[in-house]
Amino acid sequence: MSAGNNDPMPVSERELAQLTGDMDDMHHDVMPAMHARAEEWAELNREMRSGVSGPTVHVTSRRHFLMGSGAAVLGGLALVACGSSKKGSSSATSSTAAGSGKLTGDLAVAAVAAALENLAVGTYQAGLDAATGGTLGTVPPAVTAFATTAQQHHKDHAAAWNSVLTDAGKHAVTAVDLTVKADVDRAFAGVKDVGGLARLALSLENTAAATYLDGIGVLGDTGAIQVAAAIQPVEMQHAAILNFVLGNYPVPDPFSKTEGARPTDDEIGAA
Amino acid sequence: MSVDERALGALLEESNDLQSGAMRSIREPLRELVERGQERRAHGGLDPDEQRQFTTERNRLVRSRLCGTGAFATLGFGAALLALFDSPAFAVGGSDVQILQTAASLENLAVATYDLALTFDFIGGSTAIPTVKAFAMTTKDQHDAHAKAFNAALKRLGGKEQTAPDPVLLDTVNRAKATLTGPGPVIDLAITLEDTAAQTYVANTSALTDKQARNVTASIMGVEAQHVAVLLAVKALVGANLADQVKLPPDLALLPEAAGSVGFPGAFYKTDKSRPAEEGAVT
Repeated sequence: MSAGNNDPMPVSERELAQLTGDMDDMHHDVMPAMHARAEEWAELNREMRSGVSGPTVHVTSRRHFLMGSGAAVLGGLALVACGSSKKGSSSATSSTAAGSGKLTGDLAVAAVAAALENLAVGTYQAGLDAATGGTLGTVPPAVTAFATTAQQHHKDHAAAWNSVLTDAGKHAVTAVDLTVKADVDRAFAGVKDVGGLARLALSLENTAAATYLDGIGVLGDTGAIQVAAAIQPVEMQHAAILNFVLGNYPVPDPFSKTEGARPTDDEIGAA
Repeated sequence: MSVDERALGALLEESNDLQSGAMRSIREPLRELVERGQERRAHGGLDPDEQRQFTTERNRLVRSRLCGTGAFATLGFGAALLALFDSPAFAVGGSDVQILQTAASLENLAVATYDLALTFDFIGGSTAIPTVKAFAMTTKDQHDAHAKAFNAALKRLGGKEQTAPDPVLLDTVNRAKATLTGPGPVIDLAITLEDTAAQTYVANTSALTDKQARNVTASIMGVEAQHVAVLLAVKALVGANLADQVKLPPDLALLPEAAGSVGFPGAFYKTDKSRPAEEGAVT
């Protein structure tokens, strides 16, 4: 867009508001870093004046100092400008330190989602191991194909949710939803055949689908909504086939439900 | 080089104050701008040419910024999201009313098409596979419920209800009619309609600005995806001469290995076949 012409601005009002909010968040995020750099500079200055560092000390220019401290802001803005998918829920991150502390907002939803996906990956693996070990009786090839493919999908989904976290400077979640895992462990102990495994898998798929549908209603970042929207229907498809296998009507409801959605205060930890 | 540390601290404080002041002054006009834009879009006030220009320019900028800077190379989910951005649907620029009207038009077409299918003896008559017949009847009712839900959302936004089918896909259905001589082609046509609806709603979910409209759309997209999954599984069984296994439950031991995964072809639901926002809008 060139200055002085009347071309339409290629950004929506919502995006503009979000960009402005993000810019303000980044400003506030970077201020502590600027203060720290100022402290360092002042310290260096004091050392120079007292002759500790001698003439080899590299003096940071005002321009260099401002550019260095502002790099995080510029980098952040570059990502924001790349599109809404990269805005990374900065409103949710601004109150937390990178990679630590309690996550809030979009990032809390993404963390629970990643933990649910990790739990699904582990549960399918346990199911496949049980099938291989012969504890489920005869396991038809179609069932193994289902479990293997669904497990891979959940790995991909975990990576997608984790990208929401890592793009915002947080650690990826490699742990599982321990709150749900407690129920899964109890149920898995009673799984003796393919039908039992399918019922357990159906419960997990329905929980994930409900959680993401619920998440779509609360997520603020367009990119995070796109992730949820691209994944939720796939979990629903897994559930449909599981219902079919179990002899249930495969599309039992005209509208997806949020009942059973996991809250963001679920406990997340190592399996 | 001498530095007045106190002056530097004061400069930083001043910078912070300037930022806060600027944010205070920009917040109110920005809020008004957002409201005006939402109101304009919610009532379908966008000129189609202006909308296309917006979409084209936005795509050009998004792509040049993503690819030109190489920023995506550092992003874990980059490839998948780039693929999503590549698809036309994530550049949807239509109003909420247009988006909902097009969604209702897709549902209206689905209802009409299942109605048509049920007139065929091999779908709704004595030679039909009972499970397929039950599926066609139930699915038709579910699409009817979806159309009502979209029209209710439309009314809430002050838009006109859409009772007509999507004109472009109607043409597809009309052209296919002559080929609907057995379950296979009917299932293929149903897959096309269901998948198109699901993809459109996946795209619309992030494009809609009205939260309630978004929630309604999101609650329907997964159900259409389930219809697709069932139809893909049925198609695979019929294609493998296992039509007798289209029952609840099937005999798992008789199913081919591929039947276990044919119902969900991708880890992420695609949007490349989503319909443009204005396609089914009431004119």
